[in-house]
Amino acid sequence: MGSSEKRSKDVMSDIPTFSGENLQNNLKVIQNSRTFLSIIAGVLAGIIGFNGLTGFVFYFVVMLITSVGLMAKAGFSADLYFDSWNRVLFDGFLGGLMSFVLFWTFAYDLVHIF
Amino acid sequence: MAEDLVLDTAIRDWVLIPLSVVMVLIGILRYFVSKLMRSSPTPDAKMVKEGQVVIRARNLKVGANFIPPRSFRTRRFYFTNEENGLLHVPKGEATNPQAAMFSDPNMAMDMMKKNLSMIIPQTLTFAWVNFFFSGFVAAKIPFPLTQRFRSMLQNGIDLSTVDVSYVSSRSWYFLNLFGLRGLFSLILGDENAIDDTQRMMQMGGFGFDASKSLGAEKDGLDIIQHEWALPRFEQRAESVLRKLVK
Repeated sequence: MGSSEKRSKDVMSDIPTFSGENLQNNLKVIQNSRTFLSIIAGVLAGIIGFNGLTGFVFYFVVMLITSVGLMAKAGFSADLYFDSWNRVLFDGFLGGLMSFVLFWTFAYDLVHIF
Repeated sequence: MAEDLVLDTAIRDWVLIPLSVVMVLIGILRYFVSKLMRSSPTPDAKMVKEGQVVIRARNLKVGANFIPPRSFRTRRFYFTNEENGLLHVPKGEATNPQAAMFSDPNMAMDMMKKNLSMIIPQTLTFAWVNFFFSGFVAAKIPFPLTQRFRSMLQNGIDLSTVDVSYVSSRSWYFLNLFGLRGLFSLILGDENAIDDTQRMMQMGGFGFDASKSLGAEKDGLDIIQHEWALPRFEQRAESVLRKLVK
């Protein structure tokens, strides 16, 4: 909590004016939506039958869409809700990848292999 | 692909799906078992006091710029002066955390319980998978892998002609182990994920050394550059109010 506050910068006066708990909550929301979407994306990719690189490209596309959606939800002013833009863009990116691969494999096997 | 294998649907019905279901159920079970076994630590008066002092010092550090310089200096002096400041730990009085842990067996027990609740299910599942489901292809990963992964992923299949993306059930187990973490954080709430990271932290910093964290806070307070923020906030408030009035 302390470290995230320290890093935060306010546009107006360069002084951190963040509520740590709210920031944590916002990050949690991002994390959850990313995880959820990576699972959905995995199942989708598996059912459609993406193979190899196409699947990973699909994941990146979905994550990009998620980022755009999150930004739209934040009213395109991330400074109000997060300490930096990178949070919206990259948080939970790699964590979701494992879930994506798992559900991708699962759906792909069920639909296309057996 | 010319070399497509046809897998028996029985593998899907009796290996792939059951394995995933079992992993999910074990994860949920582990969550509830660790919840049940969690014992609330009996607070020690000295520990609580030191913890509170650290929290107060931290609050002062975070809110330093919102109080006038004079107030900040007096507060900092209250915390860090060398004679009777709250954060000043006289030499020799510092307790050895290792010794404290040996004198308090509950702490060790607690950690052991936490670790066991994590390790036992994993070992059991791994043994179960190895014993029942080894020696055949169980799944196909939808992306190509290099030959180097063969020994890891195709454990128990001694055929060098099979494409590496066909993997045995053990790899499916590992995929589940890592991939289900996200699912757990969704269905069990964030408590689960936080628990894991906390466990790691505990393993890293064995035992909580109060005097050390007091010293760290003291240093942090000492080096802080005080800069009062509120004069500028009047201008900010003015601009905000003007915007509202318009």
